[in-house]
Amino acid sequence: MKDIVIPAAVVRREIIIWLCCFVAANIVNWVVIIKFATPWYEIFSQIGYVTITSFVFYGLLLMLRAAWWLLSRVFKK
Amino acid sequence: MNRKEFLSDCGKMGMAGVALSLFPWLESCTEKAKQEVHGEKARIGIIGTGSRGVFHIKNLLQLQQAEVVALCDNYRPHLDDAAQYYPKAKLYEDYRQLLDDKNVQGVIIATPLYLHGRMTIDAMNAGKSVFCEKSMAFTLDEALEVYNRRKELGSVLFIGQQRLFDPKYVKAMSMIHEGVIGDVVGVRNYWYRNNDWRREVPSPELERHINWRLYREYSRGLMTELACHQLQNGSWAMGMLPEKVMGSGSLIHWNKVDKRDVYDCVTAIFTYPNGVNMTFESIISNKHFGMGEQILGSKGTIDLVTGMHYTDEPMPKGSGMHQLVEQIERGVMSNSVFAGTSWAAETGSTAPGMPIMPNVKVVTGESSVGAEADGSKELVDAFLHAVITGKQPEKVLEESYYATQFALLADKAMHENAILTLEDKYRVPYVPLGSR
Ligand SMILES: NC(=O)c1ccc[n+]([C@@H]2O[C@H](COP(=O)([O-])OP(=O)(O)OC[C@H]3O[C@@H](n4cnc5c(N)ncnc54)[C@H](O)[C@@H]3O)[C@@H](O)[C@H]2O)c1
Repeated sequence: MKDIVIPAAVVRREIIIWLCCFVAANIVNWVVIIKFATPWYEIFSQIGYVTITSFVFYGLLLMLRAAWWLLSRVFKK
Repeated sequence: MNRKEFLSDCGKMGMAGVALSLFPWLESCTEKAKQEVHGEKARIGIIGTGSRGVFHIKNLLQLQQAEVVALCDNYRPHLDDAAQYYPKAKLYEDYRQLLDDKNVQGVIIATPLYLHGRMTIDAMNAGKSVFCEKSMAFTLDEALEVYNRRKELGSVLFIGQQRLFDPKYVKAMSMIHEGVIGDVVGVRNYWYRNNDWRREVPSPELERHINWRLYREYSRGLMTELACHQLQNGSWAMGMLPEKVMGSGSLIHWNKVDKRDVYDCVTAIFTYPNGVNMTFESIISNKHFGMGEQILGSKGTIDLVTGMHYTDEPMPKGSGMHQLVEQIERGVMSNSVFAGTSWAAETGSTAPGMPIMPNVKVVTGESSVGAEADGSKELVDAFLHAVITGKQPEKVLEESYYATQFALLADKAMHENAILTLEDKYRVPYVPLGSR
């Protein structure tokens, strides 16, 4: 069986994408804190949910990117 | 529950110190008061050794300050049963002879209602401290006579209204007075049972002696046997007395089985000067809802029987992230194609509620003898303390007096088909419980 090698550049790119998702999830948390008038300490106390949300965003983004990659391959042919 | 546990329950309520000024009748439960009577005994005589009399005897056996020196009952089997618990006690069949017994300092009267007033007055005249079971008397006039005689003599007089000594009631009432449930807007009391309320009769001529509860000659039925406990709730919660009373009572079921003449189904409404109503309902041919005592406030409800507090205000909603997820879920679920009918029954709240204190002891209203941990033992203990010290605790007598008067007034309203107010001549000075 062949080893799967993920180039460092890809890892760095994925980490950056996830960090963007994490920032987006934090922004969502700030928005809902304002919208539902809940306490500001939720910026920290909800960090677990924010992290989960960031993975959800990352997953959704992954699906979009896969779809984009598939479509671009179809159109290239 | 022993005195120590009671005190600890009171402690958990944060009732130490300051609160005693609001609940002065609980003073005898304090460590200081306990020291005051340390090593001393109250010599007690019991008049009426039926089921409630024996219930008290069992409690007295566990109380340090109690020494039962005399027993009295005019029905020998009951007297002999009681004598087993205190073999050294003197036995009497005529209560007047017991009252002549100089060794007796205080009496506990647990006889049928029609005897309460007469026996209480005779006992006070004989110089005894008195604990008489509820209700205080058989008629409005008799209750007043008892009250006035006590005032003249300065005797110790307790009436068997044990809720005043039940920690969950004390805690609930202090929460209500602090405004936790907002303005009191209603008081609901009900007591449902499904039994004939009869005791077994060994021979027919004893029917009325044993089943005195069922005949108006001796009893006022559900109003004096059950309601008088619950009617206290409204005055205690609101700090005022009802202004008018109306009611309806009937015999709907058990009269098919025997010749009783007290109602087996009653409803009464008591209206307070501020317009708030207190209701009492009792049916003894259906027990589905059991016993209930609820104080309804503009911000919430306290169920006195279960010791639960329910808020009417929206529950705390959770974090912003939670609310967002809930909103998304609601959006997904609210598909108009599947929407139900536009009308839904306005059923009660299913909010879980919060216990008002740790280890709430709930008693059911099923037994007509009494229940464990309902304040009865603490009430008798407080009486023993008063017998020894000669000090009548504040406020309790007035509370019991009015509970009796309003139970009797409601009974009268039912029989006269009228809306009644308590005449001025029956009004005695009333200092609401919970006020300083
Ligand atoms: N506080 C409570 O929770 C509570 C509970 C149960 C009963 N009670 C009250 O206790 C009282 C007694 O009820 P009970 O269920 O024990 O009734 P019961 O019929 O079992 O007992 C009454 C006793 O009094 C005796 N008696 C009747 N006439 C007498 C007389 N002239 N002299 C001496 N003894 C006499 C009877 O022989 C009987 O033994 C009632 O007033 C009732 O309302 C209070």
